[in-house]
Amino acid sequence: MLFKYVSAFKKEWLILIRDISGLILLFLMPMVMVIILALVQEFGWNSMSTEPQVPVLYVDLDHDSLGVQMEKGFNSSRIFNLVSSIDDVPLTQEKARQLVFDGKYQIAVIIPEHTTERIRKKIQLMVAKTLSSLTMPAQNFLNDIKNADSIQVTLYFDPEVRNSFKNAFLSSMKENNSRIESKMIFSSFSNELRKQFPQFELPDAVYSKSLTFSEVYPSGEEHELIPTSTQHNVPSWTIFAMFFIVIPLTSSIIKEREDGSMTRLLTMPVSYLNIFMAKIGVYLIVCFVQFILMVLAGMFLLPLFGIAALDPGRQYFLLGVMAIASSLAALGYGIMVGTLAKTHQQAAAFGSVSVVILAALGGLWVPTYLMPPIMKHVATFSPLNWAHAGFLDVFLRGSDFMAVSHELIKLFIFFLCTVAIAITYRKITPPFGA
Amino acid sequence: MSERPIIEISDLTKFYKGNDEPAINQISLNIYRNEIFGLLGPNGAGKTTTISILCGLFLPTQGEVSIDGMELRVNLDKIKQIIGVVPQDLALYPTLTALENLTFFGNMYGLRGKELHDRIFDYLNVFGLEKAARKKISGYSGGMKRRVNLIAGLLHRPKILFLDEPTVGIDVQSRMVILEYLKEINKTGTTIIYTSHYMEEAENLCSRVAIIDHGKIISIGNPLELLSEHPEFKNLETIFIHLTGKGLRD
Repeated sequence: MLFKYVSAFKKEWLILIRDISGLILLFLMPMVMVIILALVQEFGWNSMSTEPQVPVLYVDLDHDSLGVQMEKGFNSSRIFNLVSSIDDVPLTQEKARQLVFDGKYQIAVIIPEHTTERIRKKIQLMVAKTLSSLTMPAQNFLNDIKNADSIQVTLYFDPEVRNSFKNAFLSSMKENNSRIESKMIFSSFSNELRKQFPQFELPDAVYSKSLTFSEVYPSGEEHELIPTSTQHNVPSWTIFAMFFIVIPLTSSIIKEREDGSMTRLLTMPVSYLNIFMAKIGVYLIVCFVQFILMVLAGMFLLPLFGIAALDPGRQYFLLGVMAIASSLAALGYGIMVGTLAKTHQQAAAFGSVSVVILAALGGLWVPTYLMPPIMKHVATFSPLNWAHAGFLDVFLRGSDFMAVSHELIKLFIFFLCTVAIAITYRKITPPFGA
Repeated sequence: MSERPIIEISDLTKFYKGNDEPAINQISLNIYRNEIFGLLGPNGAGKTTTISILCGLFLPTQGEVSIDGMELRVNLDKIKQIIGVVPQDLALYPTLTALENLTFFGNMYGLRGKELHDRIFDYLNVFGLEKAARKKISGYSGGMKRRVNLIAGLLHRPKILFLDEPTVGIDVQSRMVILEYLKEINKTGTTIIYTSHYMEEAENLCSRVAIIDHGKIISIGNPLELLSEHPEFKNLETIFIHLTGKGLRD
């Protein structure tokens, strides 16, 4: 049994290494994928970038403190780059609307005329009302004056803009507005108090933030693992790439079947399990090398693009075990798809699309905690979810062996089940469809 | 011809999934030791189905098969040790050399080391391939591939050799070498079951032939016996056309 396994392993190995270009692609493409997807995600959300990324048309018809403060606020956020003129020609509302309509810009902000003045008046009235109720409660005629209507800032959005991005922009906008209005209220109160109590000399108060936030990430490791986007992205895309081993593996199985080698092997005194396990042995090495290369890319190549380096932590052995368990799950799935599929086209189409679906369900793109309850439940059936959860435990929490044992067991059982399905199917269905 | 059949087939029937008509229908047949037995028939007659069942690739829907005194359904692993199969497809790995291919297939029969190495080179010598032993199969001609395909089925010196159209699509020289060698190993005790579309080849090679059509044996016997039964025909090919008709087959 072992002798035949070693011989079948050697055969698979020779076939693999003789396809030099295929081998290069097998190792290079996952690395390229991890780097590109990490870069796209990183710069897409701009969480670490120092340069403003998203241009926003800004038409300030107010020409007063609100417009100026709003512009300062946006520019300091480093996410949005305000554009108020094009080719040295100041933007108009109509021009901004047209540019967004044409899809040349995604967002335009129109601050209407006299906005600051109207806000100021509204606040002054509110402050006066409040103070007069304290100083002249009996004859508070100001109560009869109605508050002014809200002032409308017009925002143009390109229909292409995604809701998540729109919400992020609106949050930023509201935050800027709140800060400016608070300052105006504070200043208005100070001025009114000076008027009401001229006998007191009020110092110019400087408002400083009352709350600061300290971010702490509990970790099982002695050194803190900072959850940069690299720590999230590299494990996700590594698992995704590892599961794409389904494509070359199914191709190898179907090729062997189509050229008649499998038929010959089935007439020989060797078990189908033996033949499969030899393939799994060779492709397990491929997956493991892919994993190491992708981790190394995260550690050494991503920083070259200005992204935080991957911190693999100290649990190297556990990382290796997780990589092997995830690879086995991917290989078992590949063996099953390759055995059940009748043609290369079936295997390639089903294999690749099903991996994408399992990745989406598994929370590789959208975290499972953001999914609705039913999807969260469905996600628990995806082997990519188990692999992802295990890797995040190791990469982000520095968890120990016991903490990831559930994921390891599930991945291993998945591997056994898929191989069992493949062997049973092959036993009851000959390789040429009888 | 010895008296005891090495292969006993009784009432063999096979239905494929989704087909109402059986691929083979209640075939009963004995093949004796040291025979070169030809299974002849047009496309879709049931030749490959019969050989596939005898090789253990799948089970019949009905009927019994005994090989060298062993029931096929219960002794498949033992039977696989004593049979050799040369499929119609060139079942070789193109990126491996002939030596690597043959070493792998020999290993699958439990052969190893010097014994296997010597055996491989003996066969490569016989078939004029020793100089190309370390050349990748992808660089071989059609005839060379056929010869390696045959060697892969001979390495473990099987008692029974199944050949599914072993000479299809090759040059006359390669065909001659293959057929001569088959005659030679038959003399040393190998029973050969052989399918072909080449009637003249079957007539010269086989000690007995069965003409099979629509899943049934329609004629069986020594080629000379068949010719004497049908004196109006001059050779096996004309008998074959007479029995199976001139209509095209899929």
